[in-house]
Amino acid sequence: MQLISKFSRSGLMLLLILLIMLPFLISSSYLTHIVTLILLWSFVATAWAYMARFGMVSLGHGVFLGIGAYFPTLMFNYWGVTPWIGIFVGLVVAIVIAAILGYTCFRFGLLGDYFALVTLAVAEVSALVIMALREITGGSLGYTLRSTGRLADMQFADKRVFYFMALILLIGAMYIWRRIDKSPVRLALTAIEESEIAAASLGVSVIRYKMMITLLSAALTALGGSLYAQYVTYVSPDTIAGVGVSLSVCFKAILGGMFAVLGPFVGSAIIVSLEEYVRISLGTSFLGLSQIIFGVSLLLMIIFMPRGIMGSMSMAVAKRLNRISARH
Amino acid sequence: MVEQIIMALLNGILLGGVLALLAFGLNLIFGVVKIIHMAYGQFVMLGFYFIYFFYTAWHIPLLLSMAMGIVAMGLIGILVQLVIINPLLKAPRLNQLLALASLIIVVENLAQVIWGADYRGIPLTMPIIQFGEIFIRSSFLIAFIGAILTLGLLYLFLNRTYLGLGIRAVAQDLEMAKGVGINPNVIYYLTQATGGALTGLVAAFFIPIYTVHPHFGASFTLMAFVIVVFGGMGNLLGGFASAFIIGIATSVTAVLSSKEIADILALVLFIGMMMIRPQGLFGTES
Repeated sequence: MQLISKFSRSGLMLLLILLIMLPFLISSSYLTHIVTLILLWSFVATAWAYMARFGMVSLGHGVFLGIGAYFPTLMFNYWGVTPWIGIFVGLVVAIVIAAILGYTCFRFGLLGDYFALVTLAVAEVSALVIMALREITGGSLGYTLRSTGRLADMQFADKRVFYFMALILLIGAMYIWRRIDKSPVRLALTAIEESEIAAASLGVSVIRYKMMITLLSAALTALGGSLYAQYVTYVSPDTIAGVGVSLSVCFKAILGGMFAVLGPFVGSAIIVSLEEYVRISLGTSFLGLSQIIFGVSLLLMIIFMPRGIMGSMSMAVAKRLNRISARH
Repeated sequence: MVEQIIMALLNGILLGGVLALLAFGLNLIFGVVKIIHMAYGQFVMLGFYFIYFFYTAWHIPLLLSMAMGIVAMGLIGILVQLVIINPLLKAPRLNQLLALASLIIVVENLAQVIWGADYRGIPLTMPIIQFGEIFIRSSFLIAFIGAILTLGLLYLFLNRTYLGLGIRAVAQDLEMAKGVGINPNVIYYLTQATGGALTGLVAAFFIPIYTVHPHFGASFTLMAFVIVVFGGMGNLLGGFASAFIIGIATSVTAVLSSKEIADILALVLFIGMMMIRPQGLFGTES
């Protein structure tokens, strides 16, 4: 086992160095754009997996993405409030909403697929609210961020700034993941996942631990939504709120493997690249085709590799190492 | 205004009949195969496109196209059981849910690649029935009567035939059903075929009412879910009653405010029900 962790640690360092140097090595701003998107979605998918790996599969993270994206954008366009402040407003709103939703769900003991269905419904409500408030939000047509190009408004001449912001956020999310792994929070949440009643009878405060991880996950997701909106400068219920994006975030993490720290990153990298590749090579008339490939590969993954790419890989490596050590 | 509300009430009841049929299929699959069919509404969309395709591309008479659409959707139901559900029968519930959610992506984009994102429909002019100030579209009335008749036939099928009793036996106690010699796999395929054919039938009823586009099904999936949860998952009679409650509530709300608010209301009812009474309005088990 030590060998694996040493192996993966040096691999991680190599990846990190590569990611830091990448925007300076490649001149194509298009490729930098794609990698920025990969980093952003990896960050969101990692935040999503905080909850999912302890059995709380939320299909409603689009709510937090939407709050994070819409609040700073609307506040800037209507009131001229700089996104540097707007992002924190969005963050606070997302945490409040997550607290209300999480508390009611956990208080009434919603678990597993029931929790997933309720969060899915909440995601749909968020898209419908944006649609119903179309005078303010632009409805399903979406909403474009006013452009000023000023640093104070979080708009940069060099888009690579967003690349590094996303990278820092992703590293931060992975660091928190590791910290959770080493803390008693992980043990508590694992116990809760196994059996809430047993955990509670041992003195583990079920609701408190579940709330803790939910608020953390929601806050980071909202942050990801904010950065996405500031980077793409366009928000719409299809791309950043509602059921579609909620499912796409969870599929990215599942494909890569939601139990491994690198899983959401691997999944996002594969899905974003696949989408872009098919879009470029087949043109927009076959836009649906990339999604079909994506959907079919997800189906195959869920049936044959339910632990995702990273999960299956590490299991295969562990099996191989066991066999080697057994021989000696 | 009063006439408008009465009309919305009537439309709610008429549409409630069709929704009851849709919810019945979802409920049956949940009760027998014990899976939550996330892509059920999307199958209505697919059925709609099939009928449209048979009618416009192959120039088959409309009623025959509808019959073919129903058969085709029944076959798709069997295919889903064979390819997706069977390998996942023993998997955690969540994996089944996610697999069927990814089926949504496949089905919606397949429709988009084949038929494009445009709204498509078969133009039919159906007479409008008038009672004083109140107008009823005959297409709604036909759909309602057809749905109620189908539900009656399904009721007889489940209660009066050996096959139907077999389905109910598997729904109630799988091990016991196996013990008396029922092959559950046959029952699963039969249930999926029935569920699939019902989406085809609902699509046939919708032909004179709506036009179809790739994302047409999503709202019906949600609607069917809301109804099923409201009446109690697996409770067929509860689903029948709640279809009318939800149908009337959303259609009156849509007239009083807007379509979005009506949908939000339905979803809030769904969320509240899941939390406070997960066994549904008419459920008895604790």
